[in-house]
Amino acid sequence: MTPKTNGCARTATDRMRLAYPAIESANSGYFIAVHVQTWPLTATKQASVLANDWFIFAGSGLAVALLVWGLIGFALARWRRRSRPSNDPPQFRNNYPLEIAWTAVPFAFVCILFFYGYRAEASVDAVDPHPDVIVHVNAYRWGWQFRYEGGPLVAGATHSPIIGSNDAPPPELVLPLNETTRIDLTSSDVTHSFWVPDFLFKRDAIPGQVSSFDLSPDRLGSFPGRCAQFCGLDHAFMTFLVRVVTPAQFAAWRRTADAR
Amino acid sequence: MTIGRRLFISSAAFALVIACGYWVVAREITGTFLLGFLAFALSFIAGYMVVAEKKADLWGDRDDASMAEAADQVIGTYSIRSPLPFWSALAITSITLGLVISPTLAVLGLLAALVLGTFFIIQSR
Amino acid sequence: MSAVASPRVAPAARTDLLSWITTTDHKRIGILYLSTSLFYFFVAGMLALVIRTQLARPGNSLVTPHAYAQLFTLHGTAMIFLFVAPFALGLANFLIPLQIGAPDMAFPRLNATSYWLFLSGGLVVFSGAASNEGAAAAGWTSYVPLSAIKVSTGLGQDLWIVGVFLVSVATILTAVNFVTTVFIYRAPGMTMWRIPIFTWEMVATSLLIFMAFPTLAADLLLLFVDRRLGGHVFDPAGGGNVVLWQHLFWFFGHPEVYVMILPYFGVISEIIPVFSGKPIFGYTGLVLAAFAIAGLSMGVWAHHMFTTGAVNNPFFSFLSFLIAVPTGVKFFNWIATMWRGSISFQTPMLFAIGFLLNFLLGGVTGVMVASPAVDYMAHDSYFVVAHFHYVLGGGSLFAIFAALFFWWPKMFGVKLDETLGKWCFWFLFVGFNVTFLPMHLMGLEGMPRRVFTYANTGRLPELNLIATCGSYVMLVGTLLFAWNVIVSTVRRRPVGDDPWGANSLEWATSSPPPEHNFDKLPPIRSERPVWDLHHPAGPRT
Repeated sequence: MTPKTNGCARTATDRMRLAYPAIESANSGYFIAVHVQTWPLTATKQASVLANDWFIFAGSGLAVALLVWGLIGFALARWRRRSRPSNDPPQFRNNYPLEIAWTAVPFAFVCILFFYGYRAEASVDAVDPHPDVIVHVNAYRWGWQFRYEGGPLVAGATHSPIIGSNDAPPPELVLPLNETTRIDLTSSDVTHSFWVPDFLFKRDAIPGQVSSFDLSPDRLGSFPGRCAQFCGLDHAFMTFLVRVVTPAQFAAWRRTADAR
Repeated sequence: MTIGRRLFISSAAFALVIACGYWVVAREITGTFLLGFLAFALSFIAGYMVVAEKKADLWGDRDDASMAEAADQVIGTYSIRSPLPFWSALAITSITLGLVISPTLAVLGLLAALVLGTFFIIQSR
Repeated sequence: MSAVASPRVAPAARTDLLSWITTTDHKRIGILYLSTSLFYFFVAGMLALVIRTQLARPGNSLVTPHAYAQLFTLHGTAMIFLFVAPFALGLANFLIPLQIGAPDMAFPRLNATSYWLFLSGGLVVFSGAASNEGAAAAGWTSYVPLSAIKVSTGLGQDLWIVGVFLVSVATILTAVNFVTTVFIYRAPGMTMWRIPIFTWEMVATSLLIFMAFPTLAADLLLLFVDRRLGGHVFDPAGGGNVVLWQHLFWFFGHPEVYVMILPYFGVISEIIPVFSGKPIFGYTGLVLAAFAIAGLSMGVWAHHMFTTGAVNNPFFSFLSFLIAVPTGVKFFNWIATMWRGSISFQTPMLFAIGFLLNFLLGGVTGVMVASPAVDYMAHDSYFVVAHFHYVLGGGSLFAIFAALFFWWPKMFGVKLDETLGKWCFWFLFVGFNVTFLPMHLMGLEGMPRRVFTYANTGRLPELNLIATCGSYVMLVGTLLFAWNVIVSTVRRRPVGDDPWGANSLEWATSSPPPEHNFDKLPPIRSERPVWDLHHPAGPRT
């Protein structure tokens, strides 16, 4: 059975996702609404920048690998010892122009790659001085606390690695679409890590320091989040859910959540 | 200049360069201290090499040296068998393990180390 | 001098247990290191099989989460501190004096002390498993505050600290021996620019050990102070800093991974020329690249900390990219050595080729994660697990087997069986890639590291099952190696000085060598004195 999507397939990542049907649990009502993690989506503006970088690096890496594998394979096939040779092969030891070339060209190549990576990183790490929403996130063993500035406090822990099971609803980080949310991340015990694969992003939650980053979601939906830094026994279960809703729904949620 | 000296001088210089570069770029004290101390420690060895290798004339460094030059030359005396290594390692293990498990073990290890040290000094005379 | 006509057997040495405990002979110490590290390899491999079996299906409960944490901690610790690095030290112990024409190491008793310290360190680490709360369970990286006394309350973590400390001391002392021996005890004519590439790589490795391991020893002491002596070095509540541990640990940790690969670059540089029938291409470039890697590796430690938000990412990213350049230079040198050669595919060469193919992928993914933009997704996920297993497993492990097959005749006077060796290679190569290739995808699908189970979503169940099957194929390959050792030892077909037609000086003496190493040394006029010895008129044209 194919999972429901949030719209028609727009990108290559969407098409790949539809090709793999979700493995459903018995509690299907809540489960289907969650993006079932296969290939990561790019659900924030920052993620699109990061995905672009992934493609550049993966593409160039693959090209280099194929070239070098090709050279190795060619040498092995072309010059394998066939019978007992009467001559020794040519005993050359150096080719200085070649050696300089294969030092200089990779050097230039990695400088170009670094430049692309630096540009992407700078744009993702940039923190807006006037975000629309601020959330103080506290990671603890083994759950998450989301304290919205001027708004509700959401906290909870699951005891299952599955995100979206009715038995163990994960704490939800609700974010408004197309607005900038600043996350101020810390931990109250050991080092954890706030990882949302669909944002292609993680940041460590370290006790004694607050780490800030911006999220600008540009896709509606529910996206799984996990702890990525080993923190003890229930590390595998320390999950949360990021739910991106329209600004109107977000305002409504804040009011009702406050009223609780 | 011998290879060894060149190696440690260039390592110390390189460490100093990246220590300075790191401070300029990152202004972060821990890393700068680590790299700076690394440069300092390497220059210790480099300094020693500069002083000590002044008179070094190894036959291994001359590319036209022949085996006949080294024939029957005594380059040192080796003990081909010794009980010291095994028991020294055991003593050191007792000391460190004792710090964690029981002070008695550490003291025993320390005593053993002293005995072995004395034995070593006497044997070396 | 003529080519050896019949095998010369070394005079029988004392083989009783006491002679092994009191030995200071570098060859015996080398063999002790090799056998102990291979034992730890089997143990750590078994731990990995339990891990993979637990992960074969989501929701498995083969082991408890606490046991699982001990499993991956001991697996990492044993593979890194007790197998890959000590194997290289043992190999270098055996080879360096032979390769430079020396009768032994500069400090034979210190050499032996290092080995016994290494052995006790490993035993102490594992002894934690017998303690009340089990062995260390904070990962081989032992991050604070997880490894602090408030969280890891058991003795196992302290025993881990002591054990790793002992291994560090052993490693530092061994590096001292290596550098002194290479600088001082080279035979006449064996200038630094004629020593084999393996020996050069060991000099670079020793330099790295000098720079990195004392930092580890200090870190371990600081952690001990925090845990047992009331310190607050890493405790924010007491004025300390959590990230400090990561700085200190990775200042050691990154050079450590180069300690685990440079010797194996040397092994490959010895094997490829022999089985291509040509000298090593670009000797000077290889040497300079080794030191470029060693030097640069001291400045990249915080690329393990990109996601902390506490370090200057671009500095470390740029230097990490730079390391790819000398590594690439080495790759091209090895390919150029094979180019227009006469390549024969005996087992050591098969493993060397496997090394090239695997390490390339690991290197490419390494360049990828050197960019923080990529690392923000890949860090602490199975993508990075795939990366480091490709360089350490696909790289170092394959070079280890290549070294075993290549130098076994020199060490023990018999060749390992060639047919069994080829089967061993193929099982390992296929098994390794089936295990670790899917992990790239598992990481991209959101599976974090160090989890004892995972969600039954996406393709994770299938990918994990495939990886587990691959690990069992690797087990078969490893067992085939053990069987090969047994069969070859029983069959006992002795070999001469130079069964492979090799280049460096260790092949100029008997297999195994006499206690004093050489009865007679050939003249040394190039980096391959034994080839020169067997080709007095130059290459046949």
